[in-house]
Amino acid sequence: MAHKTEMLDVRGAAIELRHGGNGPALLYLHGGGGDSEWLPLHDRLAERFTVYHPFHPGFGNSGGLERIDGIEDLVFHYVDVLAALGLDRPNVDVVGGSFGGWIAAELAHRNPALVRRLVLVGAAGLWLDEAPIAEMFGNEPPEMAELMFYDQQHPLAVMMRSITDYSQLPEEVILSQFKAMEALAKVAWNPYFHNPKLEGRLDRITAPTLVIWGKQDRLIPLAHGERYAAKIPGARLTVIDQCGHLPALEQSEKLAELVAGFFADK
Amino acid sequence: MDFFFFHLMPWPYLPVDYEGPAWVKCPNSNYDGRRGHDVYNRYLDELVYAEQLGFDGVCVNEHHANAYGNMPSPNLIASILARQTTRCKIAVVGNALPLYNPPLRVAEEFAMIDVISGGRLIAGMVVGGGPEYYSNGLNPAQARERFYEAHDLILQAWTRPGPFSFNGKHYKLRYVNPWPTPLQKPHPPIWIPGAGSLETMEFVAKRRYAYMGIPYFHKRVFKRNFDFFREACEKEGYTADPKQMGWLTPIYVAATDEQARKEYESHFWYFAKKLLPGITISPPGYTTARSAVKMLGARNDFMMYIDTWKQVEDGGYAIVGSPETVRQKMQEMIDMLGIGNVLALLQLGTLPADLTRKNMELFAREVLPALRTRYPQTASSAQRVA
Repeated sequence: MAHKTEMLDVRGAAIELRHGGNGPALLYLHGGGGDSEWLPLHDRLAERFTVYHPFHPGFGNSGGLERIDGIEDLVFHYVDVLAALGLDRPNVDVVGGSFGGWIAAELAHRNPALVRRLVLVGAAGLWLDEAPIAEMFGNEPPEMAELMFYDQQHPLAVMMRSITDYSQLPEEVILSQFKAMEALAKVAWNPYFHNPKLEGRLDRITAPTLVIWGKQDRLIPLAHGERYAAKIPGARLTVIDQCGHLPALEQSEKLAELVAGFFADK
Repeated sequence: MDFFFFHLMPWPYLPVDYEGPAWVKCPNSNYDGRRGHDVYNRYLDELVYAEQLGFDGVCVNEHHANAYGNMPSPNLIASILARQTTRCKIAVVGNALPLYNPPLRVAEEFAMIDVISGGRLIAGMVVGGGPEYYSNGLNPAQARERFYEAHDLILQAWTRPGPFSFNGKHYKLRYVNPWPTPLQKPHPPIWIPGAGSLETMEFVAKRRYAYMGIPYFHKRVFKRNFDFFREACEKEGYTADPKQMGWLTPIYVAATDEQARKEYESHFWYFAKKLLPGITISPPGYTTARSAVKMLGARNDFMMYIDTWKQVEDGGYAIVGSPETVRQKMQEMIDMLGIGNVLALLQLGTLPADLTRKNMELFAREVLPALRTRYPQTASSAQRVA
């Protein structure tokens, strides 16, 4: 399915927005890597929804990173993004994966009126001493591939394992990767991929919520999904077997089905 | 020209079969306080001995959670040296400013060392190594911002009458009023080590501080960096003084070239292959993405990635040989680089106490006098000796 890319002016910051499809609006908040491109998943979702898939500040060609020092700034940013989209409805269905799942959860509890329904996929944001989030900054791509994928033969896993030296890569690829990691570090270095206050605020979420997790997620273990589901009022947890941290890549059909099913429910 | 004796205080006891990094994740079960006691005191003796041998100054620096350099607090070592030496400059190159919160601590401790030593401190300021951002939980994406702001705070603390308030983005203090303030006025000389980032050079050039080239690179990298630095000074409307540039280099002297290599080589490789691995880790945002990409390009010119003695010699990674050879090679490098400070690393890796002393003595007696004749001491050092 065709999608368009445009630069959206968000209170003076130029944000790279991919969008496509028909139907009710769906805001997709991507993670630190892997699902930030327009994927077959987004095509599938675009069959039923108008999918808005912006790059976070510092990712892709999105600017505005100079305003971002923490998760709160990203929440304000997405309040502004929704305003800039000028949607008909006051609220929108939100799907957030990994880092984007954290943003989605923060947006949903701070601005409940903006989030109609919420899907969290392998979301960061919480800290569990007994199930720590694995290292995302200090590992080389081959180590990351092992942590991220259930299927080590997935093309991206194979590609990542082949990178033993960044200088093999084209300069613009490294540059964009370094910039994205910087954007991530600004928000998620310490506290590490979580907000210590988030768990205690999850009961403020009013949006119907579905939590989706890869059973074999080694980056953000399933226990985090169980905690999210336990703390968000009325939330449901669906676990996908044979899937690591990125259902968007490893189980995109299944993920699209679950999301579409949940948003079609009511 | 000033000659400094630089000590890293390395851990010389990593197991022969240890192949992991020396930084961040090097298990500290490899550290042993009993051996550490001997090692610290031996290294301190070497630093004190450097003054007796006629060096103009001694250098120490800050690193955390690693086997490469066991000085998480160089200020502790410098304060010992302030008492155990009487004449030489004490260069702390430097304190990793973002790791101090509030960095007023640096203004205080440096002032203490300067006052105790009678005005002999050279105040080095660094962003901190990439690995340190993993070891200290500090956000690398704020590294530069915090460094510049901390620098401003420290300079104000030293030069503005207190109390005053400071309201930065990262540091907010209602009462800045450090006691003591430095003996040297307006403040101790400031040295900034750099690995080639243009941003750092411009910062140093603008304030007329001194730029210390980070070592372990091929000599062409040094050359390029000092050329860039001179250019940065020209852009600021003045010609760089050689005193504003320092070259840090491993040196080993023995009776003959053959003997020097024979005595030194294994200790050199321990350093290059066991203590450097992990030092290059560059956390996200620590430098601009563009600088990080540029540094990937210099990778092949880094000591850790060389494998043969010929590469060591050709690249000038270490100056090793007879007194005549070392004199000659140093002259070539000094002339090529146009620097006014030599930071001599005369102990490296596992180089034991006896060879270190012998190296220091041969350098001081057989190399230094000739270099002194060729490159006169700077006025300030000569005065101090007198």
